[in-house]
Amino acid sequence: MPKNTSPTGNRSRDRKRSKKKSPSILTPVFLIIFFVVSAVGVALYLKYSKPGGVGNQTPSINNSSNIASVLSTNGWTKGNGAAKAVLVEFGDFQCGACATAQLRISKITEQYGSRLKVVFKQYPMQRIHRNAMIAAQAAEAAGQQFKFWEMHDLLFERQNRWAQVPDAHTIFLKYASELGLDLARFKRDIWDSKIKEKIYRDVMEGQIAQVQSVPAFFLNGKPLRNARDDAEFENLILEGIQSIQ
Amino acid sequence: MNKETTILWLLVVASFVGVIDSAYIGLTSLSDTLIPCGLTLGCDEVLSSPYSHLGNVSISWIGLLFYLSIASNSIFGLSGFRKAFKITLAASALAFLITLYLLYIQILVLQAFCDYCLLSAFLVILILGLQLKLYFWEKTELSS
Repeated sequence: MPKNTSPTGNRSRDRKRSKKKSPSILTPVFLIIFFVVSAVGVALYLKYSKPGGVGNQTPSINNSSNIASVLSTNGWTKGNGAAKAVLVEFGDFQCGACATAQLRISKITEQYGSRLKVVFKQYPMQRIHRNAMIAAQAAEAAGQQFKFWEMHDLLFERQNRWAQVPDAHTIFLKYASELGLDLARFKRDIWDSKIKEKIYRDVMEGQIAQVQSVPAFFLNGKPLRNARDDAEFENLILEGIQSIQ
Repeated sequence: MNKETTILWLLVVASFVGVIDSAYIGLTSLSDTLIPCGLTLGCDEVLSSPYSHLGNVSISWIGLLFYLSIASNSIFGLSGFRKAFKITLAASALAFLITLYLLYIQILVLQAFCDYCLLSAFLVILILGLQLKLYFWEKTELSS
């Protein structure tokens, strides 16, 4: 009997043929692993790469001159608007550290207001502060009636009264009434999309300047390092004022 | 490349983009940083709203599982395995309904839009369309 016609020979040939025909499960499994690794790799890269993406010249926190060029001094200002020394703050009304910093800023403005321009920019950290955005909107709405700083001070002063409530905007209406604002206009303005856009523009600016936490201060376009106490903060501001004059 | 292979490759590409999109949102939800928005302005508003979470978990992780299932099924399909096609078609139909609900939330409830969510909505619609096309194409091929 010829070798290739034996029953066992036929069976082994059939097995070989069926092996050839049925697709291997390993190929798609490897492809899927490759797919997952590369897609998650791209997502991780996007998450942890600097804003602006690869190849873009994004300002680095160590490259102060770049930050100075992207930071505008527009916004809500106090002190001397014509002063050469400019202190920009990115703040969040629901952040405890910002409320503490607010006291320092008030003191500094009182003392050096004639030689310093203080600019406040919105940086509501909505992910951790549920009422930060609506508080920012309330301050901006008050600003439409020239009472931004009054609302700003009130929001920081009474932060613990509204920070965790579910409908903070009703509390802000009371504050608006206390400040003597036109309530109908305030109610309209607080939800105005232009106000939200203005806040997001501030946030974008903060992101470009690589703000990582709030409050973030920039003096004359340079990031201000964290001060341990009021005295150190005052010294840093004073140095900044003196260096530019 | 025949029509079936083309559609399967398109499904792989669409789900690849979907995995990147949902993984990026999911990873960002784990940290306290703001998410940069390119075309729209409401990314943080949408992604920090209660509608974007199930309990404490970002719904983007569910999206990630959906895109992975579509990708796996399409890759298996390209390799000659076609077992779970109807299941992923049903998953796409469900994802489409969820997408409609999330679009309604963005348009009428939050009145804010997020780039990443709009991209995901587009991908879900594209994936469902491609799967339906494949389904009806196979049906006509079998009957002829």
